[in-house]
Amino acid sequence: MELLLSGYMIYSLSFLLIYIALATILHLQFSITGIVNFGIVGFWGFGMYIFALLQLKLGMPFVLAIVLSCIITGIVSLILGSIILNLDDQAVLVGTLAFATIIEYLTTTEKWATNGVMGLGTIKMPFDFGPVTDLVFFLFILVCLVLLILYTAKLKTSSYGRLLLSIKDNEVLSRSLGKPTFRHKIIFFTFTCMLIGFFGALSAPLYNYIFPRMIGPGITFTIWIALMLGGRTRLLGGMVGVVATVGLFDYFIETVVPIPTEYAEMVPNFKFALYGLMLILILMFRPLGILGDRKREVKR
Amino acid sequence: MTLPTFLSSTLVLGLLEAAPLVLAAIGFTLIFRLNGFINVAFAENITLGAYFAVIFNSILGWNFYVSIIPATLLSGLLSVTTYLIIYRPAFRRGVGKTELIILSVGVSYFIRYAARILFGNDLFNFNFSSTSYLKVFGIGVTNIQLICIGLVAVISIGIYFFIYKTNYGEKMRALADNEELAMISGINPTKVSLLIWFIAGSSAGLAGLFYGTFSFVSSSLGWNLILIVIMVTIVGGIGSIRGALVASVFVGIITSAVNLLTTNSLYGEIVLLIIFIGILKIRKARV
Repeated sequence: MELLLSGYMIYSLSFLLIYIALATILHLQFSITGIVNFGIVGFWGFGMYIFALLQLKLGMPFVLAIVLSCIITGIVSLILGSIILNLDDQAVLVGTLAFATIIEYLTTTEKWATNGVMGLGTIKMPFDFGPVTDLVFFLFILVCLVLLILYTAKLKTSSYGRLLLSIKDNEVLSRSLGKPTFRHKIIFFTFTCMLIGFFGALSAPLYNYIFPRMIGPGITFTIWIALMLGGRTRLLGGMVGVVATVGLFDYFIETVVPIPTEYAEMVPNFKFALYGLMLILILMFRPLGILGDRKREVKR
Repeated sequence: MTLPTFLSSTLVLGLLEAAPLVLAAIGFTLIFRLNGFINVAFAENITLGAYFAVIFNSILGWNFYVSIIPATLLSGLLSVTTYLIIYRPAFRRGVGKTELIILSVGVSYFIRYAARILFGNDLFNFNFSSTSYLKVFGIGVTNIQLICIGLVAVISIGIYFFIYKTNYGEKMRALADNEELAMISGINPTKVSLLIWFIAGSSAGLAGLFYGTFSFVSSSLGWNLILIVIMVTIVGGIGSIRGALVASVFVGIITSAVNLLTTNSLYGEIVLLIIFIGILKIRKARV
């Protein structure tokens, strides 16, 4: 119990929750609406940096900074969405990937704002409850995550959710039935990217100091492999996937398994090589993931 | 800096920048044209081409120009192997277009980090027996860079003729356009596909090798390039080798112009990516 409540455990668990949230949002974007977002880390990092800048440079209070960073992320994703969302999947994939790369580069080059590779900090926790501050913040993230999962569950059975599913399955048909598919895609994309930005802003106080290399493409890839592994069609697929990937490697192996220090720097290499292998095997042999059915969906 | 020197520097540096990109874009375009998906693992083919050359040149101590040959062949073989082990079974299992891209991202991560486990995080340099510095339009270049540009020109013209003027090139284009019709006409799809993946892999390997000569070889070499290569292919016209050539040179010149005007080389890439997103929109890219 003492180990469970120690600072490092809470810290790791908080990030596990953030990853689960991101995988759930990807489930909303990719599995429900069919938006192939390969720039998750871009929106996440954008929200994180904007939040940090608002708080550190302009001295804004926590709530105002979080609301504003969500709004700014929303505006940026609205612009990006209106450019690329009416193109096909491959163009959306490349466009979002390019966006994430631009954000990563800008955080490096714009030293006047972000301090470049030196890092931006220190971002303080929004409240101070003495020794249980981290625990309270963890619980706050947990509440946000539960709300997100409840929303996703509700959406899947609602008529709006069915509209989004129809866009994913057959956009042309949906449009010919009179649904403004492009508009719905843009609105939903903006909303979900704001959510990503929100969780990005929540990550900033966890990190204390933020660096450009934190927002590399590895995070996007991790979220994708988690969702694919867990089961992209299932509500809890993202959660299962994150526990089986991030939970296993960043949490279990790094904290519990004793690894000699000289091999410690090799762990990420093995981790990503194994992630890659897992992704290949899933797509080949079990395309709907652990929670999904064995068979590939039949296209009619 | 006066305007004429700025223009000539931009041109020379731009061509230097574009030379390996042309090869990479041609290889990427070939696979894209044949199988119709964005093969992200092509990045690792570029990286490993450079690593293969490192093995022969820096580790075994062969002459740089001699080690180009086995490095190229090995990267071609790597490409064929990924096709046979992963992509062909995936096509047969009916993996969709978008899933194929995600699959190739998985392949890319697997190969990149396997290479990092094998080669470590170190940076490698090539050993050249003789390097001399020359001036072209007032820009200092090495003889090795000039030889590379010459080789790139020869190889790209060769591939171009192969695709557009020979029997095999015609077969390949037939297969890319309509597989069933091509098979009815007696074209063996396996043989032609293997050949295309081999050529694509070899040119990727060569591209990586030439990139390595300009700076150093690391495991993220290909990954840093792949976005630009994908963009060049899409912007240059879907699966058109001519378009890819023109777009690569355009990319090289824009990058070097921005780099001359600003201090940080990342600005060049940022400008390019923004231009590309704009072009995607204008062309209404139906990839």
